[in-house]
Amino acid sequence: MDFIDYYSVLGVPKTASDGDIKKAYRKLARKHHPDLNPDDGEAKKKFQQINEANEVLSDPEKRKKYDQYGKDWQHADQFEAAQRNAGQQQQSRRQYAGGDDFSGGFGGADFSDFFSSMFGQDAGTGGGRRQAKFRGQDYQAESHLNLRDAYTTHKQTMNVDGKSIRITVPAGIENGQKIKLTGYGSPGVNGGPNGDLYITFVIADDSQYKRKSNDLYVDETVDLYTALLGGEKIIETLDGKVKLTVPPETQNGTKVRLKGKGFPVYKQEGKFGDLYVQWQIKLPTNLTDEQKELIRQVAAM
Amino acid sequence: MQPNLILINEFCVYHHVGVEFVQLLEQRGLIETQTIQQATYVQLEQLPQLEKFVRLHQDLAIHPDDLDVVNELLERLEHMHQQITHLQNRLVFYEPSGS
Repeated sequence: MDFIDYYSVLGVPKTASDGDIKKAYRKLARKHHPDLNPDDGEAKKKFQQINEANEVLSDPEKRKKYDQYGKDWQHADQFEAAQRNAGQQQQSRRQYAGGDDFSGGFGGADFSDFFSSMFGQDAGTGGGRRQAKFRGQDYQAESHLNLRDAYTTHKQTMNVDGKSIRITVPAGIENGQKIKLTGYGSPGVNGGPNGDLYITFVIADDSQYKRKSNDLYVDETVDLYTALLGGEKIIETLDGKVKLTVPPETQNGTKVRLKGKGFPVYKQEGKFGDLYVQWQIKLPTNLTDEQKELIRQVAAM
Repeated sequence: MQPNLILINEFCVYHHVGVEFVQLLEQRGLIETQTIQQATYVQLEQLPQLEKFVRLHQDLAIHPDDLDVVNELLERLEHMHQQITHLQNRLVFYEPSGS
């Protein structure tokens, strides 16, 4: 647990007036407020720091204590205790936040361990700004999939708040798509409902297939002779193997559309996009003298 | 207790706001409330939105009258964010693989 310099968090000198602190807080809060920076985890952390700094520096009593003990904060309560009458029972004000972080990395406690240690866990006032005790906190999570995972409806187990939850990922989910699981956030208090869990899906690029909405694109090679004379080629699709006819005199870069062999349409069962196969003609190498002679003859015809 | 309905009075106590704040939001069309037997409720699904307005009001001192403008801009931001994601997904298609 490290000492936190609340003055530098707000970017004000130690001599700052209440007005300066308020102004600095408002300016930074506007910039980093989580509601103005959705999907930005860093902004949320930064805002918590700003909020905490303001909580201390805008409260004359807290600021006085903070200024008085500074880097010796760990001994603050002992000093206070020594100053008071020894018979008084006031020892237990010192509280540590450890073990109370229910967020499991998704939300985060509102105040740092440093703050809780110096002022107690329930010391946050601020009109109850970040401490509303009603609806539980929302959790944000990311799920990383590859394209082939996203092709089928599948179950996935996620660890949220130390609990395992099983979710169904519908086929056809898009990169960056977010789904909400109502009530899977942190528990509500005082009869309030649970928070929600938001999962953002991140789908990695595939080395073979490119996706454009529900259509897939793939390059397939075909040898020169098949391209010239025509033939057949078996290709792999995400749905299994397909035999394709290569018409005679197929040009390099020719595209073939395979209807319904693309990506499933999200939440429309049985509906698929198309697969576009682009022929890449592969020229032969290491020709024998005889082959070269024959090609010369063809070229001269 | 009504299922899926949150009593406004209770909400206001836990969030340290006056009932008039919620009434103002309702008048501006930012949230909908329901009155049953003289008690006013908000739908459970509207609760995150209502909480957001409270945070913006308390953290940034945004006047309730101005929350509709902020909300409109936030909705536009969200829409643009979705468009950016969509365009980024498209861009990957046009960029050569490995770049």
